[in-house]
Amino acid sequence: MRIHVWCLSLAAVVGSGLSTGARAAETAKIGAALSMTGAAAVYGATQKAGIQLAVEEINRSGALKGVKLEALVEDDGSTKEQGINVYQRFINRDRVSAIIGPTLSTTATAADPIAQASRVPVLAISNTSPTGITDIGNYIWRVSLTEKQVIPGALRRAKAKLGFQTAAVLYGNDDVFTKAGYDVMKVALQEEGVKVLGTQTFAKTDRDYNAQLTALLAHKPDVLMLSALADNGSAIVIQARQLGYKGPIMGGNGLNSPAFVKNGGPAAEGALVGTSWNAVSTDPVNQRFIAAMKARGVSPDQFAAQAYTGVYVIAEAIKLAGYKAGREDIRAGFAKVKNLDTPLGRFSFTPSRDGQHEPALQQVKGGKFVILQ
Amino acid sequence: MIAALQELFLTYQSALGFVGINGLLALSVYATLSCGQLSLANAGFMAIGAFASALLTQHTALPFAAVLAVAALLPALVAVPLGLPVLRLRGVFLAIATIGFGEVVRLSFVNWDYTNGALGLVGIPQRTTLPVVYLLLAAAAFLFWRLRGSRFGYALEAIREDEAVARTLGIDSTAYKLGMFVLGAGLAGLAGALDAHLTFMVAPSGFGFGRVVEMLVYAVVGGITSFIGPVVGAAFLTLLPEVLRALGELLGMEAGPLRLFLNGAILLAVILFLPHGLASLPRLLRRWRERRKGAALAA
Amino acid sequence: MGQQIVNGLFLGSIYALFALGYTLVFGVLDILNLAHQAVFMLCAFLALTLVSVAHVHILLALPLATAAAGLVGVVVERAAFRPLRGRADSNVAGLISSLAVATIFESIALGLWGPDVSRFPLGTVPERQLHLGGAVVQELQLVIIGIAVVMVLGLTFLLQRTRLGRQIRAVAESGFAARVLGIDVDRVIALSFFISSALGGTAGVLFGLAFNSISPDVGRSVELKGLAVIIVGGMGSMPGAVIAGFGLGLVETFTVARFGSSYRDAVAFAVLFLVLLVRPRGLLGQAATRIA
Repeated sequence: MRIHVWCLSLAAVVGSGLSTGARAAETAKIGAALSMTGAAAVYGATQKAGIQLAVEEINRSGALKGVKLEALVEDDGSTKEQGINVYQRFINRDRVSAIIGPTLSTTATAADPIAQASRVPVLAISNTSPTGITDIGNYIWRVSLTEKQVIPGALRRAKAKLGFQTAAVLYGNDDVFTKAGYDVMKVALQEEGVKVLGTQTFAKTDRDYNAQLTALLAHKPDVLMLSALADNGSAIVIQARQLGYKGPIMGGNGLNSPAFVKNGGPAAEGALVGTSWNAVSTDPVNQRFIAAMKARGVSPDQFAAQAYTGVYVIAEAIKLAGYKAGREDIRAGFAKVKNLDTPLGRFSFTPSRDGQHEPALQQVKGGKFVILQ
Repeated sequence: MIAALQELFLTYQSALGFVGINGLLALSVYATLSCGQLSLANAGFMAIGAFASALLTQHTALPFAAVLAVAALLPALVAVPLGLPVLRLRGVFLAIATIGFGEVVRLSFVNWDYTNGALGLVGIPQRTTLPVVYLLLAAAAFLFWRLRGSRFGYALEAIREDEAVARTLGIDSTAYKLGMFVLGAGLAGLAGALDAHLTFMVAPSGFGFGRVVEMLVYAVVGGITSFIGPVVGAAFLTLLPEVLRALGELLGMEAGPLRLFLNGAILLAVILFLPHGLASLPRLLRRWRERRKGAALAA
Repeated sequence: MGQQIVNGLFLGSIYALFALGYTLVFGVLDILNLAHQAVFMLCAFLALTLVSVAHVHILLALPLATAAAGLVGVVVERAAFRPLRGRADSNVAGLISSLAVATIFESIALGLWGPDVSRFPLGTVPERQLHLGGAVVQELQLVIIGIAVVMVLGLTFLLQRTRLGRQIRAVAESGFAARVLGIDVDRVIALSFFISSALGGTAGVLFGLAFNSISPDVGRSVELKGLAVIIVGGMGSMPGAVIAGFGLGLVETFTVARFGSSYRDAVAFAVLFLVLLVRPRGLLGQAATRIA
């Protein structure tokens, strides 16, 4: 029984592989390696929605003069092994022109080198680790801002507005995203002359933060700094408020999600979030994106915005390469992308192939994010 | 045709590498299962081997063979002082103690700045090749094959059947159990090094409770009556998500929870209906065919 | 200081409830039921759905969801454990079988509710606070500690004073002897699973209410701690599970207060390790080894 299944799939794989070549001239295939199951499944779901929306819009508008985009979404299971397998399929079997993703930085450090070696451009849309991503090679590009590009400016503005002198820090130390965020926060706090009275950690799977918060709040800090993802973040603010903390709470990119506001409820009011997607920007491109996502029944978050932007960046690269959609064309096109209007703002690549656009500082007011000037 | 086969190979070359590495991991768990000990420490040993090998590659100019040797020896050395007290425990208690060890190792790496905590070590050059993986797997399999009919092998079986009786027969069960525990640690460390040098990186998140459970499942699903079972189980379960992915494409299935569901369902089916694992399938098929023949003759 | 004691007791009550179900099944069947945490999770989701979609009051949703969890436990026993009962490798096979069931349940939860973290709608439980000598105590926390204590007392009463309890203890001692004595072992085991899963389910709902955070993988974090609790308390001992549960909650909380949170989990496992090496039967476990 098992043997028959194996033979069947072998035949299918070979068969569809043989028929791949014919359509390449008209269709630009983009392989989307996303976490649809496993630890990062929350992000993969909205990323997929963002990507599919962008692909539909671009194809419908005919802006690429005859080149049609096709997004192939595969699940990397939030593990590096499946991530690698998915990349191999995209590169060797599906012959994609570019890969978008993967969701997690750890998967990226394992899979991107393969794309680099095979000269397939990769556009990271949610990897925020400062090292190990774009420094893999010149085929690896990034849309998502690292916390290093977001937090220092956000902190400066927050301090100017609220004037805090001391801080207590709580961060997730077992997740690349939040650990990298903490590293940046530590330096930024020092540079702004804010004294750190205490630091505590938590693990991604924790739900109870009372012990850590009680220890931190005993120091009576002026501000509570969080480097956490939305799930942990919402529970943390609730528990902090329950313990009687009335001061400001500030976090990084991880809190920039409707889930944070929804789950945090009244406890999330007033929280400051340094973010790479200004959800309330009145920029028409952003408003159109939000409306289109809502029309599909998906609450847009930062991951969706970055994924959507990623596809538009790829489309722009194709355009700049003369409406050609081969692997080299897209890579050359990336190098030329400048000041593209996206929901994230005006986007360009830095010389080191990282993303660049204006980050924002937001505050939760009345159950919504508003911009803090 | 050649181009299609080439494409097939390129697409699945990493998967084949994982099959070999998981085969080694399954054998590492089998090492202790073969003498009746349910040890779940091997994710921790794998982590030690993986990180040690990555550090050596990044900071020294040692040849790969030497790096692999250290990756196997270091966990083996750690296994000795760990095994002596821990192997006194029976059954589920040993399992839980070893799970605890694995978690402590993982948490240590998460908190260790030298190895970048949660991010781990990245940019490791790819020194693992398919021939190396399968050579080492074959060597490990060969080792177990030789153990099978030997006095060592019989001693292990005796300990597995009933340790108290084995001891009355003069078998030093502690020494044998420790030996297999150390062997398992070495194999796991070796697999960790191969994995680190295949996937360009090593991070603590890959060595949690889930990982050691995976190894156990490879071994049990394959069947633990002989060393072939774990290797078969590893191959089957490593390729299963990819087979389901290919099938899913054929059937228009969306990526998502259904694959996870099928993984669990297949595991349950194998456990319930194939007590001796997948490796016992040929034997069962033969017996079934013979019974049918017998029935036909009798009719 | 007082606040940390409150934190520790509260955390401990959740651990204790979770561990009770775990240790009951181990005591009776000698099997580690890794599906326990999945039932914990499913029950939380079920209660959440009852409250947010069917607008059932939480006071009714809790017992309903708990009963459902119990039934799920019976099904799990029938489907995944009973077929393995005669087998020589039933410990390992049971472990893996329960693991497969946990995976299946997790995929069902992912399919039905998605990977997002959900919370009970605001206002499900009143958010009143009490101030006890410098410490802030949520009314909800007291209720949860109270429910945990009541369930422990109820379970102890059941096991010590009722016929069913005697039968469960008999089967835990020796399934074979119990059968010889005319006890319907199958029924007893099924009921044990019902009780165990109901306990785990209750823990799940309370957890969801307490921490406002329900997701398909919520059981995994508690699972390993639960293991530590039942070992330290003694496999198969209910009072042991309770004491160890509260104990672990307090130890973890004070470790964080004194040394910082990075070492919290390591301390839990270090204690586990020490207990296993020095006194494997735990605080209150049986000293005699069971005859296979």
